[in-house]
Amino acid sequence: MSYWWIRAFYGTVGAVLFSFLLVFLLRAAFGFEPLWDGAVYGAVAGLLGGIGFLWGIGCFDFWLGWAKGADISHEDHSFHGVSNWKQYFRLNTDHKVIGIQYLAMTFFFMLWGGLMALLIRTELAAPGQQIADGETYNGFLSMHATLMIFVFAVPVFGGIANYVLPIMLGAKDMAFPRLNALSFWFLPVAGFMFLASMFTGMFSSAWTAYPPLASQGTMGQTLFELGVQFAGASSIATAINFLATIITMRAPGMTIWRMPILGWATGVTSVLVVFATPFIAGSQFLTMFDRIMGTNFFVPDQGGDVIMYQHIFWFYSHPAVYIMLLPGFGIISEVIATFARKPLFGYRAMAFSMVAIAVLGFGVWAHHMFVSGMASWLRVPMMITTIIIAVPTGVKMWSWLATLWQGKIHIKTPMLWALGFLFTFLMGGLSGVFLGVVPVDIQVSDTYFVTAHLHYVLYGGSVYTVFAGIYYWFPKMTGKMLSERLGHWHFWLTFVGTQLTFLPMHWQGLQGMPRRVSDYDPRFETVNSIETVGSYMLGVATIIFFYNIVVSWKSGAKAPWNPWRGKTLEWMVSSPPPLFNFDAVPQVVGGPYQYGIPDARHAVVFAPEEFGGELKEDTRFPVLVVANETLTSQALIDEVRSRNADGLWSFELVAPVGDDDREVVQRRLATTLAILAGHGVAATGRVAEGDVVDVATEAARESDPNEIVVATLPLSQSRWMQRDVVDRIRKAATAPIAHVVVPADDARAIGGASALPMVMVVATEAIGAEGLATVVRTRADAQPARFTVVAPLDLPEPRWGADANERRRAAGEAMTATVNALVSTGVAVEGQVMDDAPSVALPLAIGAYAPSRIIIAGINGEARALAEAAEAAAGDTPVETVNLGQIAGA
Amino acid sequence: MATTAPHVGGATGQPEQKKHMNPALISMLLFIGSELMLFASLFTAYFFIRYGVANETWPPLKADGQPFQLPVLMTLVNTIFLVTSSFTLWWGEKRLAAGDNKGLIRGLWVTIILGGAFLLIQLNEYAHLGFTPQDRAFSGAFYTLTGFHGAHVLVGLIVLGLCLRRAYMRDFSPSYHTPLTAGSYYWHFVDIVWVLLFILVYLV
Ligand code: HEM
Ligand SMILES: [Cu+2]
Repeated sequence: MSYWWIRAFYGTVGAVLFSFLLVFLLRAAFGFEPLWDGAVYGAVAGLLGGIGFLWGIGCFDFWLGWAKGADISHEDHSFHGVSNWKQYFRLNTDHKVIGIQYLAMTFFFMLWGGLMALLIRTELAAPGQQIADGETYNGFLSMHATLMIFVFAVPVFGGIANYVLPIMLGAKDMAFPRLNALSFWFLPVAGFMFLASMFTGMFSSAWTAYPPLASQGTMGQTLFELGVQFAGASSIATAINFLATIITMRAPGMTIWRMPILGWATGVTSVLVVFATPFIAGSQFLTMFDRIMGTNFFVPDQGGDVIMYQHIFWFYSHPAVYIMLLPGFGIISEVIATFARKPLFGYRAMAFSMVAIAVLGFGVWAHHMFVSGMASWLRVPMMITTIIIAVPTGVKMWSWLATLWQGKIHIKTPMLWALGFLFTFLMGGLSGVFLGVVPVDIQVSDTYFVTAHLHYVLYGGSVYTVFAGIYYWFPKMTGKMLSERLGHWHFWLTFVGTQLTFLPMHWQGLQGMPRRVSDYDPRFETVNSIETVGSYMLGVATIIFFYNIVVSWKSGAKAPWNPWRGKTLEWMVSSPPPLFNFDAVPQVVGGPYQYGIPDARHAVVFAPEEFGGELKEDTRFPVLVVANETLTSQALIDEVRSRNADGLWSFELVAPVGDDDREVVQRRLATTLAILAGHGVAATGRVAEGDVVDVATEAARESDPNEIVVATLPLSQSRWMQRDVVDRIRKAATAPIAHVVVPADDARAIGGASALPMVMVVATEAIGAEGLATVVRTRADAQPARFTVVAPLDLPEPRWGADANERRRAAGEAMTATVNALVSTGVAVEGQVMDDAPSVALPLAIGAYAPSRIIIAGINGEARALAEAAEAAAGDTPVETVNLGQIAGA
Repeated sequence: MATTAPHVGGATGQPEQKKHMNPALISMLLFIGSELMLFASLFTAYFFIRYGVANETWPPLKADGQPFQLPVLMTLVNTIFLVTSSFTLWWGEKRLAAGDNKGLIRGLWVTIILGGAFLLIQLNEYAHLGFTPQDRAFSGAFYTLTGFHGAHVLVGLIVLGLCLRRAYMRDFSPSYHTPLTAGSYYWHFVDIVWVLLFILVYLV
């Protein structure tokens, strides 16, 4: 447990205890009876506990420091960026890290929500009770809907936009990185409050939490209400941050009409969030007051009004559906333009239609209440606005289709999701227009028709678009490509699964099956079981997705800067981008979607000021590396790799021979170059005759490097240092010098050797023989590799006897001699003496080392026997046999 | 979406990131917008209770059959306190703009005292109202509205207190005063909401 998590633990527990004390004292002071009222204590503890956690994890430290009057540096970047995966679990202010934290967290909740969905579908697989009674079913349903809406569909786009948008705008980060961190940490607080309600009696009023049901719930209901507050605070804080970023941080030249559509989408969404979210906050406060404080907002005979809740709730929750859709629209616009290789059709219409949707979105809320008993004069106006809102949505739909029209369409996984979205969302949009018409809605209100509609819209608009975004930007985020094959599987299973699960629901609803029930009339059995099968397919598809993510992230192909040939700014920096995205402020010179227009460009990205000029994926500035004995060492290889991570450098290795054996130096150099190539480092190298200072100075004159790296052994062991080589090079060459000191032990072991192929050499009688070292050396010269010499000893019985011991000792000595001889000439080699006959030992060794090649080095007949044993165990691994007896004889 | 030739590095130099607007103040305004909507949701509840429920006389009757009565006069005085505090804050900021840090400190002190007095008087009112939030829907709405507002006054006072501290540290100057300006936006907002609340709940 790290410091921060321990602090978070104490912060939470401390705040909970404090709130108990506080409530107790207040109740005692004001004479409230009874002193103990679980609901009140629980609510205050939940609220303060959440805040205590946020304090503990470090969200408020900066501001508290400011409040205390401490000297705060705004340029303190110690919480910026990550160097290993563990740091994703603590506070970070880097928008790229926060983006990934957001995505991971929301998908975690999505998995839980999905699990609930599968439980729901399992219960509904057949009429009657399968796994859950009515109460439990309500719990599952409520948990499913709540997690999916409040901690998946709403915030997930915050993850994508957090990562991508600042880069798209040409900014170094969001406007307020610390606020950004706070927004993220609100999320786990909200989500885990929802999840915690499993232990306190699940809330059962779904995600809409209508009173009077919601005013009756238990502690679970309180956790729901508090969770919604935290999730809402998170949304608002991010939204304000996005707006400030979009307004003030766009790169020079990026007018609002040159902004990628994702910027528009995020901006419009953020306005919705800022102005709509407070309404759900208000509504949840009121139900909470009714339940735990005994106010009468929703008690009709005390002058309260239940319908009022629905008005306030839907005044948020209808705009909220656009909060869950508009960012997705933005993502789809990016993806479709890129993969159709055409300028986005109707860029301005796309932007304005989103604005129109947002404005109209505030005027349609009561279409959710046609049958609620609200004032009946509201029905027709709301019906009209609802139908009008289909117009800007239609504008978007046609614009996407027109972008595809006669495009040069590339069906990569992101594009598949985009096309899947077009179909699925269209279905949801059409049933939505049906539902907006009062007479139809009266007919199908609260039936599965609504469930079908909402899933088509949300699956299409949130899930498909998020997947499109993840497949599109994963290479940028991680520097690795996702597997296309798995991606296709994921898509097609999801697509078929979606239709199987949700298409029949339309019919089912029209036939009158009500939503939110755990049991149904037997005539619905067939459809329901089909839907359950479909939902299991969705489950399998999701597993494939996660498998793809994990495997590709670990060992996927390396992603170039711009795998999809996109035009926007994020594709003009490395994958993943450098810590502050851009080394110099970029200049925007045109629109973002000018595909197919000769010479059109969106922006120019510059190299750091020292170098000047434009920065492209293949822009490299030379660095000279001078080393000999230390060439293969871990320290030097690490040094080169860490520079290479900048994406700015190319490396020229120069190995001065000096008094050494040229061949040995050559071999070291070849090994190092092979290792660096294995790590994807662009490096060239040569061996040069002559004294190191002359060689280095000459090379520096030729290639005019930006830096010279000289690697030596420590002062006491280094021949170079004894002649003060580093300082002499410094004087002779003009470039700055970095001196890497390599510990002597480290210099002999070959660093990063795992990047080399593994070759296994099997020898028993031949160890120690003259030819063995030569054989290995020639193989190493032909192709750099690391070698393991294995000596399986067919020992005489008893194995602890004197004879056996003598053989073991002799073999060990011979092995050491061979290995030393090889290592000192620059070959990466290890040796192992094994205590078993080849037929037993070789399968074990092959299993353990997984060599890519096997070389049998034997003497005459022994060679054949060894080769047979090896071939039996080798499987597909190629086996080469060398008869040292013949070589010696010849 | 015209394309112009990029002028790349070199002689023209690299572009500079310009900031036209202060992101902190934009954010404060947006946050205030959000807060306004929170009060709007509570006012919505209040109006539904007031106008949506059939056959209610106004002011409605308490559980004991007596009509609710609010101390309008006292609250009017209190309202004047709060409104004045907005002006004293404005005066303090003007002093700072003229380079007079002492004036700012004075202005902040007066503002904070007025705001504090408002809160105390409001709490005193709670104690003597003669009804509780549990009485009927109206009383719940009344306490919720005034309570939320009171909480906002408290937050505003804390923010101004912090600004005061910073003013003593001579942190603000005529050219840098973003936290102070943001705080004062917030304070004016709290003030305006109160005026609305006073008119809509106490007077009308
Ligand atoms: C594996 C995928 C999913 C399955 C099998 C599924 C299944 C269901 C079912 C059967 C119901 C209705 C339960 C009832 O009315 O008794 C439901 C409700 C709901 N689902 Fe899903 N769902 C899935 C994914 C999603 C996603 C991705 C979202 C949102 C992003 C979502 C949001 C909702 C909401 C909000 C409700 C509540 C509807 C209401 O208020 O009645 N679901 N889900
Ligand atoms: Cu709606």
